[in-house]
Amino acid sequence: MAEMRTDEAAFGVAISGRTSIPSGENSVWADVSPLLEAACEDLQEGELIHGDNFNLFAAMSALEIMDPKMDSGIVCTYYSLEEAIENGAAPVPISVDKTTDIRCTIDIMDHLLACEATWHKGHSLAQTVYSCLYLLRPERTLSHALLHAYCKVIHVTCKAVLSVVSDARTHEEEDLFTMAYGLPLGGGDRDERCLSMLNAVEETISRQLRACKASSSKRRLLEDIEPLQSNPDLEEGYCRALLCRLRFRKHFYHLLMSMKRPQGRGLELARKHIASCILELDGCLKSSEFLRASAHGMCEKNIQDTTASGCQAIGFDASLNCRLSAPTPPRSIKILSWVKAIEYFLKLLRDLDIVCSYSLVPSLEAALHFVIKFQKSQPDLVARSHLQLLLVQDGKLYGQIPIFAVITGAAGLPEVTNDHDIQKNEFVVQLGQLVINLLKILCTNAAWQRRKLGKMLQDWRVTYVQLELAFKNEFGEGSKPSNNELRFKIFQQILMWVEEQTYWIASRFLILGFELELYSVHDYYMVYWYIYAILIKLAEKTHLRIVMNNSTAKKKAKKKRDSFKDAGRDYQISAAVLFLQSQIYLAEGLSMMFAALRNEHIILAPQGPFNTEHEIFIQQFELLQKACLPDHVSYMSFKESTKLVNFSTLAMCDYFKEAQRIAKDVKSSFANDPDKMAELRRVEQVAEHNNIALNVICRVGAIDPSLKVTFEFSHHPFFATAIVKRS
Amino acid sequence: MAMEPGFPKQEPSDFIFNHPSEDGEGAMETNTKEGEVAKVEFEASEIEYVSYGGEHHLPLVMNLVDQELSEPYSIFTYRYFVYLWPQLSFLAFHKGKCVGTVVCKMGEHRNTFRGYIAMLVVIKPYRGKGIATELVTRSIKVMMESGCEEVTLEAEVTNKGALALYGRLGFIRAKRLYHYYLNGVDAFRLKLLFPRPELHPSLPVMADVDDNHSSHHGPSEE
Repeated sequence: MAEMRTDEAAFGVAISGRTSIPSGENSVWADVSPLLEAACEDLQEGELIHGDNFNLFAAMSALEIMDPKMDSGIVCTYYSLEEAIENGAAPVPISVDKTTDIRCTIDIMDHLLACEATWHKGHSLAQTVYSCLYLLRPERTLSHALLHAYCKVIHVTCKAVLSVVSDARTHEEEDLFTMAYGLPLGGGDRDERCLSMLNAVEETISRQLRACKASSSKRRLLEDIEPLQSNPDLEEGYCRALLCRLRFRKHFYHLLMSMKRPQGRGLELARKHIASCILELDGCLKSSEFLRASAHGMCEKNIQDTTASGCQAIGFDASLNCRLSAPTPPRSIKILSWVKAIEYFLKLLRDLDIVCSYSLVPSLEAALHFVIKFQKSQPDLVARSHLQLLLVQDGKLYGQIPIFAVITGAAGLPEVTNDHDIQKNEFVVQLGQLVINLLKILCTNAAWQRRKLGKMLQDWRVTYVQLELAFKNEFGEGSKPSNNELRFKIFQQILMWVEEQTYWIASRFLILGFELELYSVHDYYMVYWYIYAILIKLAEKTHLRIVMNNSTAKKKAKKKRDSFKDAGRDYQISAAVLFLQSQIYLAEGLSMMFAALRNEHIILAPQGPFNTEHEIFIQQFELLQKACLPDHVSYMSFKESTKLVNFSTLAMCDYFKEAQRIAKDVKSSFANDPDKMAELRRVEQVAEHNNIALNVICRVGAIDPSLKVTFEFSHHPFFATAIVKRS
Repeated sequence: MAMEPGFPKQEPSDFIFNHPSEDGEGAMETNTKEGEVAKVEFEASEIEYVSYGGEHHLPLVMNLVDQELSEPYSIFTYRYFVYLWPQLSFLAFHKGKCVGTVVCKMGEHRNTFRGYIAMLVVIKPYRGKGIATELVTRSIKVMMESGCEEVTLEAEVTNKGALALYGRLGFIRAKRLYHYYLNGVDAFRLKLLFPRPELHPSLPVMADVDDNHSSHHGPSEE
């Protein structure tokens, strides 16, 4: 702001006092006050700047200079990195006293870890890790092997993490993460060099540790080894504290590199590094007691607790970057405490371990279930990015299975279809892209994921319609042709699967609304009704697909034999469908219970002054309605099926009992699937509780106006449990 | 299917990071926080509501927002709103003292004409008496009469008071915006859809919220 080009400097007088920021080649310092004063007088009170480019963005970009709340430039200790360094903000060595130097180096390492975790949690790199002045001038630490090696590994680690996240592109809403303009990432060195430096210092410190532990007789032999620092009582403790910190960095870097290997080839090795990382972090935690004791009373207290010793780390200044590297929010952010940072890394490692333990089952269904399950533990951005890169590489599932083969597999087609030239059909290509996008979207955070899934529904629907049209054009409305039976079959089964998959996405979209707390209690009854409507269609499509797959398989198995006996089996309902059925009854039961509670005035429906329930319905399900999911479902059909529900009609339909019964029966089919078993148990519990609650309501509800019904999610993440109380 | 470009975060507690949000709306916060403050005793009829009347009202609006909301807005931001949409801004007075205000805008947004509530403030001793509801209702009414199809705003997920107030007015939580604020708090994008005449031939253009509704919302507000 204060820097003006020479030709404009005529307005002011150069300031002689401040010399710490030198003028550039084509610039000199000038006082702009007269210009500003003249500009101020030009604008009368009440006048507004009018211009095409003066929109809300411009208005909000305007700053009131010298207002400390707005003018980031005045809230800083130093005006430039050079000034900070000249003032001794980041000395090398940190102290001439070896013991102090080591103590401070460990504090820097710890604070950097806290900064790194804060960055991963969604703050800018510039204001977290790169608030470290040593990182901003890597060449300055050359003489300090330990600090230099550590800074280098931080550089390359940040670069590696950054590239995973930006390659995965799962971070749209977490965009601050990848902003790294102008920061010396990677330092220009080859990454292997950083590892050899790290190994060298680790080797030296291990020897120092051995030397200090050796008995006095052996010590003579090791005398040529210079100790780490000058206080023999602290030697072992400091050596250990440093070693676990250095080894953690080494394994963490190796872990990132192993996970980067194509087609999941490095996953097994990665798991070994994960185990080592966890071990070393544990060592770091254990070193805390020693570090606290040995630093007691020696340093400035660290109010944010970003170090194990409790001391303030030297060489950090976040305010400097506010102006050095745009775009950075003009305020300092709260760095996580060191303990919280370790907790973050432990969670990251556990999440990465789940990713690495996945056995790359060659089926879309398995991959989808894996992602959904993984997301339940709410992994952070870095872990999600790694999963996404594993799932989709080079446009193939796990970088191995071509997407068309993924689709034919999901549609239950035999392997011979994998190379069929139908994959060149433009709508099949389009479908492939949708499958890839679906996998990627499922790796994003829940808020973003729901929005993207909602928008995606229409794409799936449109693709379905286009495929169907292409199918009809090719084969006409009539019966299947004899000459191209395989092509017909592929089309037919893919179409069926696309519908099923679309309803699956729709159900996921609705369910995520609970996790994100988007629904109010008053919305529940329409939401459960819609979930019920979607799940019915999903069950129907799933059933059709399974029946068709069975008949294909059977035909293959006994082409010639008359399979009259098996005809009945087609009509048997599969376990997968029964599983859905238990959820369908639950959703229907909840929706009907809400309807009865409203119709009997136990829950009062809110009536806003501006719109009605109809508008709420339109808004809640806009994206589903636009995609005709399901067809013919509207506010009218919703009202039609709920308006007459009351306690006496409800008592006759045992929705909850049915849900419970089916869940119980179908369990035996999922003995080998712990996730499905757990879900069935939850369904059973919710159904049982709601059945009891419903009985109470039906018995006393009509006669006792003091009855209070509330809902909670204690048994299931999205099926509510009713709680009945007398108030 | 390209992903949307991301949008930057906003920091509610100290400073606006100078970027528009995803939809090009400003980094506004709508806030009706509760506080442990001695309430002032007054009758609803003692509160006088006035439409923004000119530059003499600007300092009142600015003081109120500065005092109650954490974001410091530059004078340009206030002027941007009150000069372009003076009819959407209202002030509430009690015995000559300004105790609440609402600041809004409206305009074309992705082929819909949409209203946006930027700031809503009632000072602590006057909360819980329906003043915020009255202020925002007046703005929404003007938006509706001006042909808006919907109204939106953002609120912190933790701001229960504001969420309840807007819920009663018929707003739904359309989206959750992950880490919308720099302090890591998510926001809800709230939306109110107006009825389309063709769907409700019998519904009057403006439901009778005009005169006596402050008593509807009276003590239940917060």
